Amino acid sequence: MNALGPSLAPYIRSSRTLKKYVAPIAHWYADLMGYRKMGLKYDDLQVEENPEALGRLTPRETYDRAYRFKVASDCDLHHHPLPKEQWTKPEDDKRYLLPHIANVLKEEEERATWDTMTVQRK
Amino acid sequence: MLARRASAFARSFATVVDSAGVKVAAVDNGQPTAAVTFLVKAGSRYEPKPGVAHALKNFAFKSTAKRSTLGTVRESELYGGVLSASLSREYLALTSEFLRGDEPFFVDLMSSFLTSGKFLRHEFQEYVIPVVEAESTAASQDPATRALELAHSLAFRSGLGSSLFASPHSHVSLDDVKEFAARAFSKGNIAVLGTGIDSTALTQLVEKALAGASIGSSAVESKPSTYFGGETRVESHGGPETLFIGFGAAGPADPALAILSAHLSPQSSVKWSQGLSPISGAIPQGTSVQSVLMPYSDATLFGLLVQGPSAEGVKEAAKVATKALKESTGLKGDALKMAAAKAKFAAASSLDGRDGIFSTLSTKVFANSEPSIEATLASIDKVDAAAFSKSVAAITKAKPTFVAVGSVQTLPFADEVGL
Repeated sequence: MNALGPSLAPYIRSSRTLKKYVAPIAHWYADLMGYRKMGLKYDDLQVEENPEALGRLTPRETYDRAYRFKVASDCDLHHHPLPKEQWTKPEDDKRYLLPHIANVLKEEEERATWDTMTVQRK
Repeated sequence: MLARRASAFARSFATVVDSAGVKVAAVDNGQPTAAVTFLVKAGSRYEPKPGVAHALKNFAFKSTAKRSTLGTVRESELYGGVLSASLSREYLALTSEFLRGDEPFFVDLMSSFLTSGKFLRHEFQEYVIPVVEAESTAASQDPATRALELAHSLAFRSGLGSSLFASPHSHVSLDDVKEFAARAFSKGNIAVLGTGIDSTALTQLVEKALAGASIGSSAVESKPSTYFGGETRVESHGGPETLFIGFGAAGPADPALAILSAHLSPQSSVKWSQGLSPISGAIPQGTSVQSVLMPYSDATLFGLLVQGPSAEGVKEAAKVATKALKESTGLKGDALKMAAAKAKFAAASSLDGRDGIFSTLSTKVFANSEPSIEATLASIDKVDAAAFSKSVAAITKAKPTFVAVGSVQTLPFADEVGL
């Protein structure tokens, strides 16, 4: 387990039958969570434990992320979600941060491996 | 036994083998360590935009499809090897030095950068850009480096004139670097040089390493060099006052210039003596004059770098140096023989070290010329007084390249030192 938390998603995605049944529920649940009504994307909810990954976003992605936060905190201030046409569309709700976090975790893991390895001469 | 080894050395000096489009040259003198250099025609003269070659140099040994940056460093540390990358106006050289027997790993490590470098955006921002900036800043603080950079841009304008360092205002993007790398890393542009390694063994390793590689066969292009010359003055503080008086010529390297450089160089052969150069005795105390000879594949820049703590001293020394340079057309007899012997010794002794071997080989390996030292020595021997005088007259007739770095109000102009 790592900073991304445990996930059954890879297993479910690998099975076609499971995916067929679970996907609609997943989409329904993602809508139900309400973050899309504030104009946010799922990866905006990721705990900022990984400043290195955030630093790897392109300047455009960083700007857009900050803009979404501003919009969301404005909504919060008004105790009212955005008008429906401004909600994040499901197709725009991409995991833009996930690959960067995964890479950083992989690098950390690699460093730990190199740090703790024992060398054996063949 | 000794005689046999000596003759074996003379015979085996670096034969250039063409292995599937990649040139391989290796020389084994029985050194305890081995070194392999991948030489790529990706020097600053080929760069499409200023600073791209410098950025590419600093991308060396970063993540590839085979190993990450960290893996590269840690693994080569386990083998006890040293990795380095260096950039010249013509070539990018990736070198690793290691113990004999570890060559499969290091050849694989360097070739994997050429064939599958990842050029990650965050590595560009986190590792490459800071180092590029630091190197450029350090270079701009050194008046001698600055004078030579300016001299090149005056002498050759584009091509060889482009700086080795990215200027602080050049906007090099990752895509520029990727595109340049994709063009430069092709088989016709790569040569592999080895010391302390058998030629056939290196050829096999290189063939294996580049076998499945999807590197193209396009060639980088650069206009043939032309010599222009000119004068420039740049304000600078904190370093010695610096003047560069240079002359250049397009075309292949002229052995007469090696003799001229040896004749003028005030570095003495004996410690605590002034040497016999016409310059060394006459310059004011505290100032220094260095002769600089930079041969390239299709042009040569020759010059005298004058440095000193005060502008007046530098002016005096520059006058002396210019006078000596102009008078050297009349060099003949024993003086010429002495200068030729000095030039021959310099050429031969450079082959004692690894850097010298690599730099000698690098000029020859792409030109398909005879890499042996005998050819170089013979060409210096062939220069007689008439040929020498003709070569020197021809090069000094061109417009001089004159660079002043320091307090520009007091440093002399070109016409004030007798040019």
